[in-house]
Amino acid sequence: MNYPLWALPAGGLLIACVAIVHVFISHFAVGGGLFLVLAERKARRERDGLLLGFVRLHTRFFALLTLVLGAVTGVGVWFTIGLVHPAATSSLINTFVWAWAIEWTFFVVEIAAAMIYFYGWDRLDARTHMTVGWIYFWSAWLSLAAINGILAFMLTPGGWLATRSFWDGILNPTYVPGVIARTAAAMALAGVYALWTASRSADGVLKQKVAEYAIVKWITPMAVVLPVSLVWLLAAAARAGVPVAEIFGASGAGWGTALRTILRGSTTGLPIAQIAAQVLLAACLASLVLCGIVLARRRQYGRPLAAALMVCAFAALGAAEWVREDLRKPYVIGGYMFVNGVRLPSAAAAAQPPAGTAPDAFSVEALDRTGVLPASLWTRLPAGGAAPPGDVRALAEGAEIFRLQCSACHTVDGYLAIRPLVRNASPTTLDATIRRLAATEGDVSWSTAGVALRTWRNRRMPPFVGTREERRELAVYLARLGGSGSASISAFDAEHAGGAKFFEDNCSMCHGAEADFPFDAKGRSPAALYELIGRLPSINDAMPPLEATDIERRALAEYLATLTGKNKEAVR
Amino acid sequence: MTPAIPQIDPVPLPAPAALLWFLLLLTFTLHVLPMNLVLGGSLIGAVARWRARRGQLHDGELARWIGKAMPILISATVTMGVAALLFLQVVYGRLFFVSSVLMASLWLAVVPLLIVAYYSAYAVAFRGAGASAWLSWLVAAIVLAIAFIYTNNMSLMIRPGAFRAMYLASGSGFHLDTSDPSMLPRFLHVVTGAVAVASLGIAVLGVLKRRADPAFGGWAIQYGCAWFAGATLLNLVFGVWFLASLPSATLLQLLGRNLIGTSLVASGIVFALASMALMMGAGQLRDPSHVVLGAAAALVVALVFMIATRDFVRRSITGAAGFEAPRWVAPQWIPIALFAVLLVVAIALVGWMIAVFVRSGVKARDGKPAPAREGVSV
Repeated sequence: MNYPLWALPAGGLLIACVAIVHVFISHFAVGGGLFLVLAERKARRERDGLLLGFVRLHTRFFALLTLVLGAVTGVGVWFTIGLVHPAATSSLINTFVWAWAIEWTFFVVEIAAAMIYFYGWDRLDARTHMTVGWIYFWSAWLSLAAINGILAFMLTPGGWLATRSFWDGILNPTYVPGVIARTAAAMALAGVYALWTASRSADGVLKQKVAEYAIVKWITPMAVVLPVSLVWLLAAAARAGVPVAEIFGASGAGWGTALRTILRGSTTGLPIAQIAAQVLLAACLASLVLCGIVLARRRQYGRPLAAALMVCAFAALGAAEWVREDLRKPYVIGGYMFVNGVRLPSAAAAAQPPAGTAPDAFSVEALDRTGVLPASLWTRLPAGGAAPPGDVRALAEGAEIFRLQCSACHTVDGYLAIRPLVRNASPTTLDATIRRLAATEGDVSWSTAGVALRTWRNRRMPPFVGTREERRELAVYLARLGGSGSASISAFDAEHAGGAKFFEDNCSMCHGAEADFPFDAKGRSPAALYELIGRLPSINDAMPPLEATDIERRALAEYLATLTGKNKEAVR
Repeated sequence: MTPAIPQIDPVPLPAPAALLWFLLLLTFTLHVLPMNLVLGGSLIGAVARWRARRGQLHDGELARWIGKAMPILISATVTMGVAALLFLQVVYGRLFFVSSVLMASLWLAVVPLLIVAYYSAYAVAFRGAGASAWLSWLVAAIVLAIAFIYTNNMSLMIRPGAFRAMYLASGSGFHLDTSDPSMLPRFLHVVTGAVAVASLGIAVLGVLKRRADPAFGGWAIQYGCAWFAGATLLNLVFGVWFLASLPSATLLQLLGRNLIGTSLVASGIVFALASMALMMGAGQLRDPSHVVLGAAAALVVALVFMIATRDFVRRSITGAAGFEAPRWVAPQWIPIALFAVLLVVAIALVGWMIAVFVRSGVKARDGKPAPAREGVSV
């Protein structure tokens, strides 16, 4: 909206692909750095030339992988997030430029130390060489610790939402468990990568030595630390207001319930998060089994086994990152910005801009007021010329609203396709569903501090923003996508007018917006309301039974579903 | 067309705008120095490898040196470029993000291109004299392509008046800034300038190698001088073309209407000419070491003035288009201080590591063993 959208279907997938490759290498860059220096120390203390030769060989692989692919994919993540989500990137940069600048100082030392450690095998004395190795490891780890602050902030911004303080943002509720989990993942990966280098050797003694060292000292301890830190991280996220259980589709709290739900699947929550969690568990289990096989074949394991272990570790790390991303949904920055770039209004307690600063045009409330199409700088609607007929224009505008609000996640027929979700749905049903996508818990204002979301079937969708006109245009566009060839604005209006007129004639004296008992659908569906209005006296014996044809009753139910008491929206 | 500039984020600028602007220019300068050596060096290196195949002995040695240095130079370019990109996004993010999206597919192509170029550069470095010439040409071609993409983005981002029409035409991210009359001369100016900087680097290499290998050292100084003179003379043409292609209001500012702008561009030209004069004179001297080093210093100063001129042009054009810095500023002083301290620590650590590395090379040449290979206990 504030920035143009790159016409790339499922841009989030591109970020995921680049980021997962980077994370798989950059975590190795941290853990592998410690592995090199500790393995070198062990080899020197034990005067083990074989192991020292292995460390030297591993250094070459390490340097070529981390200095090139690791560093450049890191730049690639920057490029990709700026292209796919410029609004969020801009917000993060403006908030954390100094965190990134600090991280850059570590990065400079890390790169220089990696090169000197690599080239220094031929030139430096042992003590200096290892000192450079330690400098490398600590700068790499500090780099991880800095970036983790920003990643954790995106999930749980904590006190920053109210204070806008740098430190509240960085040292947020999931910072510490995040650092521990990432450090543990880095250590485990160091072991996995070492097995890969050793698998290429023909020397059985070396293979055994590396297998025992990598699995017993590096992978096994992390198989304990990693799950504990992940559970801690999830618990901290839940305490900070992330509906972890809901996202996994669990009906109640408790780790047992969540685990059972992940294993069995659920009809509510985020399906992709559930699949990612299943992949994570399966990949971790497979990795441990493969480590057992490597130990059993400690003198003979070859590249296929080591490659399989690498693939499983890659899948586990990728799935873990995917779960982290999905826990954040529908936000890109928790409690601050939705995935489609729409912001929540600033909490009253937050620092406010000086007088004369233009108000935020892209908050939920501002967009509800002005509409998405007039606010967006980058609409691609035909301009000028004769105005097209109402239905043609409305469909074009509906498509544009879909592009602006929904295409950050959904494609029409590809990844997270929208067409199957709206198949055979009527515009009125879609209109009511869109309205219920998300609301604040307790229907409080969006600017309430610490506002919680209530989303349709816990699908973690952002709310629809925009005017009533825009919502019905989106509904008609989606109905057309779903196969309702006759769906049109005029038909929608006619259908709605029937329900509205019936309400005006028969109900508004008691339940109109200004009457004593204004009606509030409270998120109920047209079907639920259809059933409800069929038994009015049973709800309240002062109510007369509904006298209406089935068509009128259905129209009334559709209309009632659009009424919300708190928001007092202008209905047609 | 009306400029389309995104709204300012509703968060305060985390530092005084002047500090962010200074760091942008500083880190960009630190990025440009190795970047010029990569861009110009890869082209000269490819030519040298081709000439070496035809029996030119010194060209072979030069190609080996360039090949050996290239991965380190690429690494320095990327490392410094990260910081420049960071501060660019804070200061000019609202323009830079838009221009990047308009050419997103091409912009993102920089990443895989760089990976291929970087690994190819390592392959050249590891194979030494045995590296095939086409690998060197591949590195040069990719680096040139990346420079072209970068020039397009940096040129497009200062034209917010063109954004909306381009986006309406297509959102698939394949736009180049070819409709801008200044893009092509800017690109040629940058590439030729990079060749000049790299050729001066070759002359400096000649100075450093002169004692150990007088024949190669002397040849490298002469060879660098020749490349430098040719590139700088050509760049006078491209520079004038680039200046003439700028919007008239900006051009007039550089030609006397604005004292700062005029001083910057004039200083850049004077130092570049001084550098050229020194280099041409160096070719006539028996011991040109000090003159070559003086020319290198003059060129670095010229480069700093040219970077400042570039920024002046950018500010002038974007300011005329209505781009303003945010007025809401809330400096994060403690993180800023922490950054400053850590930067000093980083410089000290990197300096120490480079010093011990260089000293160890001197010791190795003096016949002492390289113990890291020997399994010495610590």
